[in-house]
Amino acid sequence: MSHHLFLLSPSDTPLYELTHYSSKPVQTTTSPLASNLPSWSTSAFAGTLTALSGASSATQAHHIQGGPVRMGGGKDRHVIQMIANASLDVIEEVMRKENAMYLKSVDKFNEWTVSAFITPGNMKFVLLHESRNDDGIKAFFVDVWELYVKTMLNPFHTAHTPIRSPVFDARVRASAKKYL
Amino acid sequence: MATTSKQYKVIGEELWKGRAEKTNAELFALTYGALVVQLIQDYEDYEEVNKQLEKMGYNIGTRLIEDFLARSNIGRCVDFRETGEVVAKVGFKSFLNITPSVTHGGLPIAASPTRSSTASPAPTIPGATFTLTLDENPLAEFVELPEEALEGGLWFSNILCGVLRGALEMIQMQVTATFISDVLRGDETTEIKVTLVKYLEEEVPVGDD
Repeated sequence: MSHHLFLLSPSDTPLYELTHYSSKPVQTTTSPLASNLPSWSTSAFAGTLTALSGASSATQAHHIQGGPVRMGGGKDRHVIQMIANASLDVIEEVMRKENAMYLKSVDKFNEWTVSAFITPGNMKFVLLHESRNDDGIKAFFVDVWELYVKTMLNPFHTAHTPIRSPVFDARVRASAKKYL
Repeated sequence: MATTSKQYKVIGEELWKGRAEKTNAELFALTYGALVVQLIQDYEDYEEVNKQLEKMGYNIGTRLIEDFLARSNIGRCVDFRETGEVVAKVGFKSFLNITPSVTHGGLPIAASPTRSSTASPAPTIPGATFTLTLDENPLAEFVELPEEALEGGLWFSNILCGVLRGALEMIQMQVTATFISDVLRGDETTEIKVTLVKYLEEEVPVGDD
């Protein structure tokens, strides 16, 4: 089960990306949509997903079978990014209405849920995940926020430029392991 | 009568507590960081930046010593070893609220004559050194050096070396202060080595009778 984190500047420039594969046991909650529809159409959704990602037929078969799906980094990357980008509109809408920093799940796409966190400085942290984990995700967002603030305080870091620090990367990964 | 190391610590504590105006540590670190980054952008040569930081520190040190002597009322140090102790326990404590640890060293020349406590060889002879080991550095909070700075040989807190040189020069000691290691550069500790070059003669100001 994987998570994809994106840190975006107020002008929607991606500053940091992370893909994290969780080793925690997944509660296999099938999406409510899937339970209503006959099995052939859920496989159609899966087919859409793989078709979008341009996967080979071998992977397609794998998806239809279900089971633990490992999102290959390269192939499904653009799907992930498409989902993340699409959710930005929703995030901005919610942003206007709500004052809280942690916006829970703002969008849903097949099995992917998008959760967002808006910092006081208008940075958007977007997390794509499959399972529900509100508390863990909130704790993770807060942790990433603290790490982000520390990076901003580094005089050698220019605001709103991609974050390349290996220390930041290591710490975010550790935090992901802890909470997700 | 020699003031013991413990008494120095107490003096340092009291000076720090007695200070009416303290500054916010984050503001201090951010200001210094901005200063260093600006210097890097202006000079583009890390060696030059080191030199400039040292020069700035020198100017600060020459003025700082007056403040220090006025507040602390500490008398003349008997030898360079004691100078090291005072700098670490009283000086750094009262200005930065940190107490670096001191290690003494020097050229192994014949020990000075009438001294009974010959713990370190030749404490007053030029060539004597003490090394300050800073376990925390308020100037370098939140700082991560980028690759180019690491390769270029930047000593981020080099201003401290200048301060030491300037301050000690005003009390008739010519020293060189340099960084030996820095945690920002990936070393284990942050250390400044201060070496006594010579004692300066008291010079009568021109025009005085």
